[in-house]
Amino acid sequence: MQNSPTYHPLIDPVAQELKSDLERGIKQDELTQKYLTKKGLFNHLADQMKQLSIEERKSFGQKLNQFKTDLELAIQQTHTSDAKQSGSQFDYSIPGQQLNIARLHPITQAIEEITQIFAQLGFVRVRYPEVDWDYYVFESLNMPPEHPARDEWETFFIDTPDRSTNVAYDVNQPQRRHPSLVGGGKQVLTTHTSNGQVREMERVGGKPPIRMINIARCYRRQQDATHTQMFHQFEGLVVDRGINIQHLKGTLDFFAQKFYGPGITSRIRPFHFRFTEPSFEVDFSCHICAGTGQVNGDKCKFCKSGWHEVGGAGMVHPNVLKAGGIDPEQYTGFAFGWGVERTYTLRPGLSIDDIRLLYSNDLRFLTQF
Amino acid sequence: MNILIPHSWLLEHLQTNASPEEIQKSLSLSGPSVERIIHQDDEAIYDIEITTNRVDSFSVRGLAREAAVILNQFDFPSSLKQLPTAPANYPVSSLPVPKIINNPQLCRRVICAVIEGVQRTPTPDWMSKRLKQIELNVHDSAIDITNYITHDLGHPCHAFDYDKLMATGGEIQIVEAQKGEKFTTLDGAEFTSVGGEVVFKNAQGLIIDLPSIKGTHNTAIDENTTNILLLLESIKPDKVRFASMTHAIRTTAAQILEKRVDPALAEVVIVQALRLYQEICQPKAIGQIADEFPQLAQPTTINFPLAKAKQYLGVEIEPMQIKQILTQLECQVDTQAEDTLLVTPPTFRPDLETPVDLVEEIARIYGYHRLPATIMAGQLPLNAPTDQHFDREKTLKLLLVHLGIQELYTYSMVSAGLAESSPYSLDQHLKLLNPLSEDKVYLRRSLLPSLGEALVQNPDHPELEFFEIAHIYHPEKDQLPDQQLVLAIASRQSYRRLRGILESIFASLFVDRFSFKALDKSGAEIVLIGQDGGEKSIGWIGHDPANENIVQSELQLAPLFQLAKKYPNYQPIPKTSPIIEDLTFQTPSTVQIGELIETIKQHHNLISNVTLKDIYQRNVTLTITYWDKQHNLSNLDVRPIRLSIVNHVKSKQLGELIGKLPD
Repeated sequence: MQNSPTYHPLIDPVAQELKSDLERGIKQDELTQKYLTKKGLFNHLADQMKQLSIEERKSFGQKLNQFKTDLELAIQQTHTSDAKQSGSQFDYSIPGQQLNIARLHPITQAIEEITQIFAQLGFVRVRYPEVDWDYYVFESLNMPPEHPARDEWETFFIDTPDRSTNVAYDVNQPQRRHPSLVGGGKQVLTTHTSNGQVREMERVGGKPPIRMINIARCYRRQQDATHTQMFHQFEGLVVDRGINIQHLKGTLDFFAQKFYGPGITSRIRPFHFRFTEPSFEVDFSCHICAGTGQVNGDKCKFCKSGWHEVGGAGMVHPNVLKAGGIDPEQYTGFAFGWGVERTYTLRPGLSIDDIRLLYSNDLRFLTQF
Repeated sequence: MNILIPHSWLLEHLQTNASPEEIQKSLSLSGPSVERIIHQDDEAIYDIEITTNRVDSFSVRGLAREAAVILNQFDFPSSLKQLPTAPANYPVSSLPVPKIINNPQLCRRVICAVIEGVQRTPTPDWMSKRLKQIELNVHDSAIDITNYITHDLGHPCHAFDYDKLMATGGEIQIVEAQKGEKFTTLDGAEFTSVGGEVVFKNAQGLIIDLPSIKGTHNTAIDENTTNILLLLESIKPDKVRFASMTHAIRTTAAQILEKRVDPALAEVVIVQALRLYQEICQPKAIGQIADEFPQLAQPTTINFPLAKAKQYLGVEIEPMQIKQILTQLECQVDTQAEDTLLVTPPTFRPDLETPVDLVEEIARIYGYHRLPATIMAGQLPLNAPTDQHFDREKTLKLLLVHLGIQELYTYSMVSAGLAESSPYSLDQHLKLLNPLSEDKVYLRRSLLPSLGEALVQNPDHPELEFFEIAHIYHPEKDQLPDQQLVLAIASRQSYRRLRGILESIFASLFVDRFSFKALDKSGAEIVLIGQDGGEKSIGWIGHDPANENIVQSELQLAPLFQLAKKYPNYQPIPKTSPIIEDLTFQTPSTVQIGELIETIKQHHNLISNVTLKDIYQRNVTLTITYWDKQHNLSNLDVRPIRLSIVNHVKSKQLGELIGKLPD
């Protein structure tokens, strides 16, 4: 609506009346009744067209159309509430319209945040296949076929024939069984994003620097309140000259501060993975008890020990670097791989009692995020 | 693997005055993780996670040995105690041990001794208390001693009924089973060999033990047993694992012996086991120990450049301190040259094979917590993959969410029913060899059935819309499947709205050349037009064939993102104004609105846009924009065009004008 409505001398008085009705807060149904019904003011205006000459009719008709549009819009925008008017006051207590709010899935939100943090350190985001060769998921990561280390992962195997030629596995030269050399191999659903490590080394032609963050779906044969058959992991890999454990610690501290808050620190403890040496378990300090394990003399209920375990890490094993075509005498690297779900739900207010809800399509869950 | 260790039991092997909490903290920082301390009957019991490469720590004494080294670093003076010796001069049994025919390729050591005239005494209180603390069942002393000693010292041992064993012929052959041989374990379960399992057989080929895993019924101790043959063997670990996994017999013995247990430990253990039998069961006599130990494998000496420690830790540790740490871990350390050590690990550390393994030992005992934390300097990689477009995925997701569409993540593996609801038959899907549940077996080739199911699960939302961006898996012969990233949307709202959503997506990605080609009944194909005019079909939009109240769309994102841009080709704002008018046509029922609109659009170069304003039955109101970017059009210019539109539409039998044309 223009402030001083000017359409046509015949139309303008009605426009003016509309304007003052709107200012007075006249209800929508009353306005509709007054202006838009068969006997309403608009139709009355339209009838007046007969009184005009042929030449005048055309421009009047155009202006009338314009006014009709403006009129309908103006009335549509008035509130439909039945709230009683106290005099001519507009009722500001009236509730807002229900707009349809949809959400990004919490996993998307978590992935976005994680990606942004590592981007600040120059990490390159990648995404490697979910259905992958056993070679990338295990063999090139210093895990021979039939090795007990594989038990930890409860792997899903794909029902495809393995037509590769039979070349003996050599833990010091796993590349001899590279799928491109032997014509394939066993296919699995990857149990971890670590299948990205050697793939990334190959992608960059064995030439560091590498700063990779691989985020993808992973799969393990387990389903209960704290495990789902399908989940997400993020894997970091840094390879360059002179990379040492201090850099891993620095990177972990950086992530801890950014993701969980200022003052949160990381801690690494001995562990074992075949593809890292040394291997570590990573903890972050509890934000509630500041890593002390105590709140007002009582045991901290959230963490119990002062620390939360988030996942694994380590210095890349020389055999893995070699599998990726990188000389372990010249280059070293570190890697870490954690669950997106677990990392995300360690935050205050996010302890989700049953992780299966994340993939349950339950709106009561999803719309909370 | 976790192990329970009562504190008082630990102190039998470990001299220390550190408290349980101090032990937990120190160990966890430099060695095995003490996950929790259980307080039971006024005693602390440690629940410790031992990693698979450290089976040497999977016993009370093994853990005590680790603890002694670590606690000293944390300034708690500690040491490993000596093992007790058995009182000498016990009667010697003259019962012969069975003849052992070993295959050194399969087994590196067999050590055994006869215990004659065992008294079947009840398990003493101190032992039964400890067995309960570590959650083992209590039987009688003869059986419990083997379980106790395994936990105490870390090498499983087996007690045969000597008489039953000798009745099979007095001979033990250590061989691989053939396929199809039957055996019954001591709990009565029957098995058939697959071939390759290492077994004990008598001279006639009867299986008389499944060594390192479980005893067989025919030589098992029962309530009448009075003579025992105690035997420990060192079978090749991968053979133990093979037999154990094949038949799913996962005893503690198997889980220990499938890892590289030190064969040297067998002698220590049998001596201590015999000491306990002597003390508790007071047998009539104990035979001499018979030992077949042809190969004492020497650990490989490692050439360790001192610089390696600095390379991995970033700090300089005094060579003296490095030597001290390695020596405390029972390595033999000699100086090779000024900057290199020759390190021979002890036999119980087969996991120490390369310099980097030694780095881990030095670093963890020195203390990871003592290392500073710094972010790496260095060049940043500038080689992001060109076939991924994460920023465009994000733009897309935000747009959809702002339009009110809820994002979902659904499982990549689906049931047969959902797989069959896709355009592909069941046998055209990849499937899992070992699914966990029936509803997650096939790798899906469309997201739409999963989204449809999600709508059904949320019936009380009449305007509900879901989207998901995920991969689908198209099988490829002898290759990894083609894993395509797609966007799928399922909606309870209208087709026009969903199509409008797709058009908004294209607009937000600055993709302006596309078309929707109606397929016969099911929906429309979505086609992108490239720079060269080439057409590419990237997806589909239509109604759910199973439910006409649901509209769906699925499109491939890779080709869309290839064409997408981050910013437009800027067009200067025209200095002229358009003329915008409505025309209403009545269209025959055979005519498609899209065709009518296209026809009008193409009809004259001053027609810059035609949009659908309204439909009422067969009456279609279109808003037509006439625009000359150089000159302002007047009614005089538009009138002939308007007229020709009407005539053209009529001549093509696409429709008849309703109402009169303005003058």
